[in-house]
Amino acid sequence: MKKAIMYVNQFFGQIGGEDKADFKPVIKCGLVGPAVELQKHLDAEVTHTIICGDNFIGSNTEKAMEIIMGFLKDKEFDIFFAGPAFQAGRYGVACGQVCKAVKEKFNIPVITSMHIENPGVEMFKKDMYIFKGGHSAAKMKDDVKAMAAFGNKLLKGEENLGADEEGYYARGIRHQVWRKDGVMAADRAVEMTIKKLNGKPYETELPMPKMDRVPIAPAIKDLSKAVIALVTSGGIVPIDNPDRIQSASATRWGRYNIEGIDDLKEGVYKTIHAGYDPAAADADPDVVVPLDVMRAYEKEGKIGRLHNYFYSTVGTGTTQGEAARMANEMIPYLKEDEVDAIILTST
Amino acid sequence: MVKEFERAGFTIVQMANLIPVAKTVGSNRIVPTISIPYPLGDPATTKEEQWKLRYYRVGVALDSLTTDIKEQTVFKVKI
Amino acid sequence: MKLEIGNFHVKDIIFGGSTSFSNGILTINKKECLDFVMSDEHITEAELYIVKPGDKVRLCPVKEAIEPRVKLNGDPLFPGYTGELVQAGNGKCHALKDCSLLVVGKHWGGFQDGLIDMSGEGAKYTYFSQLKNIVLVADTDEDFEKHEQQKKNKALRMAGHKLAEFIGGCVKDLKPEDVETYELEPVTKRDEKTAKLPSVVYVMQPQSQMEEMGYNDLVYGWDTNHMLPTFMHPNEVLDGAVISGSFMPCSSKWATYDFQNCPTIKRLYKEHGKTLNFLGVIMSNLNVALEQKNRSALFVAQIAKSLGADGAIVAEEGYGNPDADFVGCIVALEDAGVKTVGVTNECTGRDGKSQPLVALDEKLTAIVSTGNVSELIELPPMETVLGELESLARDGLSGGWANDEILGPSVRSDDSIIMENNAMFCGDMIIGWSPKTMREF
Repeated sequence: MKKAIMYVNQFFGQIGGEDKADFKPVIKCGLVGPAVELQKHLDAEVTHTIICGDNFIGSNTEKAMEIIMGFLKDKEFDIFFAGPAFQAGRYGVACGQVCKAVKEKFNIPVITSMHIENPGVEMFKKDMYIFKGGHSAAKMKDDVKAMAAFGNKLLKGEENLGADEEGYYARGIRHQVWRKDGVMAADRAVEMTIKKLNGKPYETELPMPKMDRVPIAPAIKDLSKAVIALVTSGGIVPIDNPDRIQSASATRWGRYNIEGIDDLKEGVYKTIHAGYDPAAADADPDVVVPLDVMRAYEKEGKIGRLHNYFYSTVGTGTTQGEAARMANEMIPYLKEDEVDAIILTST
Repeated sequence: MVKEFERAGFTIVQMANLIPVAKTVGSNRIVPTISIPYPLGDPATTKEEQWKLRYYRVGVALDSLTTDIKEQTVFKVKI
Repeated sequence: MKLEIGNFHVKDIIFGGSTSFSNGILTINKKECLDFVMSDEHITEAELYIVKPGDKVRLCPVKEAIEPRVKLNGDPLFPGYTGELVQAGNGKCHALKDCSLLVVGKHWGGFQDGLIDMSGEGAKYTYFSQLKNIVLVADTDEDFEKHEQQKKNKALRMAGHKLAEFIGGCVKDLKPEDVETYELEPVTKRDEKTAKLPSVVYVMQPQSQMEEMGYNDLVYGWDTNHMLPTFMHPNEVLDGAVISGSFMPCSSKWATYDFQNCPTIKRLYKEHGKTLNFLGVIMSNLNVALEQKNRSALFVAQIAKSLGADGAIVAEEGYGNPDADFVGCIVALEDAGVKTVGVTNECTGRDGKSQPLVALDEKLTAIVSTGNVSELIELPPMETVLGELESLARDGLSGGWANDEILGPSVRSDDSIIMENNAMFCGDMIIGWSPKTMREF
């Protein structure tokens, strides 16, 4: 039989209320509090319950994680549950932190449950299955049952029907599916148009995601001392494409030495980007990676110096996850040479 | 990519033709280029004209790196 | 404009003595058809096959699909392309239904080419897996592009269009089993009841992003890169005025067959006079420079507004930077007060976590989503391959690769394959066939 372990806070772990919120993590064999309910519905043995005070984990997160991961390292388990945390903010965040750590360390499914207003939802919904839970402990049975039912599916390898149908918060993971009713896009589009024109409710198939922003990096104070690097997503590479960067959906990148080179010449460099007409970039790669004018600015003293490499990959069809990984792989090289600023050209 | 570099503390400018895309991906300093296949030099013009345009637009990009901005900014270009 | 399409439902296709149609059986005289194909000096070798749903056949690299038809008045099927420039969308034509003519490269593929499986798990990925297909497998003397990733496929595609017309000729003098009639009164001359209904335009954004001629979709033989958005009668689209091009990752493409049978136009016709007033088609395009994209969006919004459109459906033949044309067009229409629905595929990555379109805007409130270009697909070997399977890995097909550290090559030694949906032939069916949608997991 498969095995499960559950995390709860001091209150549901029957240690005590707010006065016991500094309670350090413990692991108990068998079922405590919500774990009893979980066991009723789960087709796996709930072997242990971990209990920790909300304040302890909140103010000593690192320490708490260390203790909890220590509890788990010699245990056999196939799935991990936490909560349900309802609208309890500290508890929700704790469930999220513990589940995230367990998933990263043990690579097994983790499931928790929170009310939509719990701050843990926004913080952790992309990292795990968080079920849409009730407002308070009155919903305990329903929430645990929902977690268990989905846990059973995962353990048996049954088809996940998607966030809405299963009842967890969307994780920002979108895949194509075949509609059961087989209604084709033309009919859906015309019917949606008729509804939109008549002010009737309809459901878009692509809700606009929220944008992720990063803080603006400060301006360079003295450009004449700055080290500048050139990066491109336009796929400019040495003619034989030594890093075998793919022409679409790239997972590879390259850095190419430009010491002593003042100009990217036709026949020496080319583009392998398949998303645009390559004629102009092949004829003069400087139109994508403007090395020639950067050298001019270097000679004039407008910039301190140009970093000795340019970095290249292909943007078309390349996922954000891959792009972020590739950027993070380039960063150590840029830091090593104390690069201050980057010009990124895209096509 | 731009976001990762900026997150790591590099001051970065994106030179791109598709301003809506650069804005959507969260670039903060943006300098427009003239097209997708030839961002910095129109092959229908002379080599001198291409150089001039490229020199100018990269100059705008360099200047953008020294400019303090409060929000996502698309820097204006004249040629 | 009134177009009557007389249908001949093809129940089976066989090779035989004369190219003819009788009792649902389409007979193809192979030699006659091949002689016709070989009359183009650029075709160096050619062979014909018949494939049907359920056959254990994999086709790759697929370049084009065309519905065999004939115009009864002797006009060319694709005016300005296979023959002289005449008005499309009027009069009578006869069509061989439930079948298509597929063009497959004998050796060489490219970025824009795709794959079709006629049976098994892979058959759900393309519309053409459900049709009976006449397959022209051929090679050409176009050596200049043999090793180019972007191919014009000029001779092969032209051979397909001409052969479809040649085969279509066999039903010219026969009586069709049923007739579909497409007729729209001029915009200002519609009956009172229809005129009072909310009016809708269909905005098509065909692929036109190559600046060199020979790759893009054509309208009456004219490269769509060289046009500004224009108002067209939907019958023109259904009647061969628009043909598919040879650029864009394949799952996002529209085959000529798709234009000839555009299901979105057909559904709008069905609603015309009942729930809406179908004004017609605004034929736009897709561009590479922001100014061009914005210019097209301005034109579309202006034409829609001038026609008095209350609503619009916008569909893009592409993904990636064409998303900027798509989003820009929808925003321009919404800003002009036209309530708009968009039809597109998404690129969320193999892990599903990427931003679905490269540009986004909160004004996109009504989107029909037809698939994920980067979904990873693994398929077992198939008994028969038409074309050259290795092209999927070797020739830079958009969903294939020569090697990958983790996944290995797209084509394995046992002929099983691993690929991205990108290379499924017109697989995202943005033209309207798609039974797929996108779901949050």
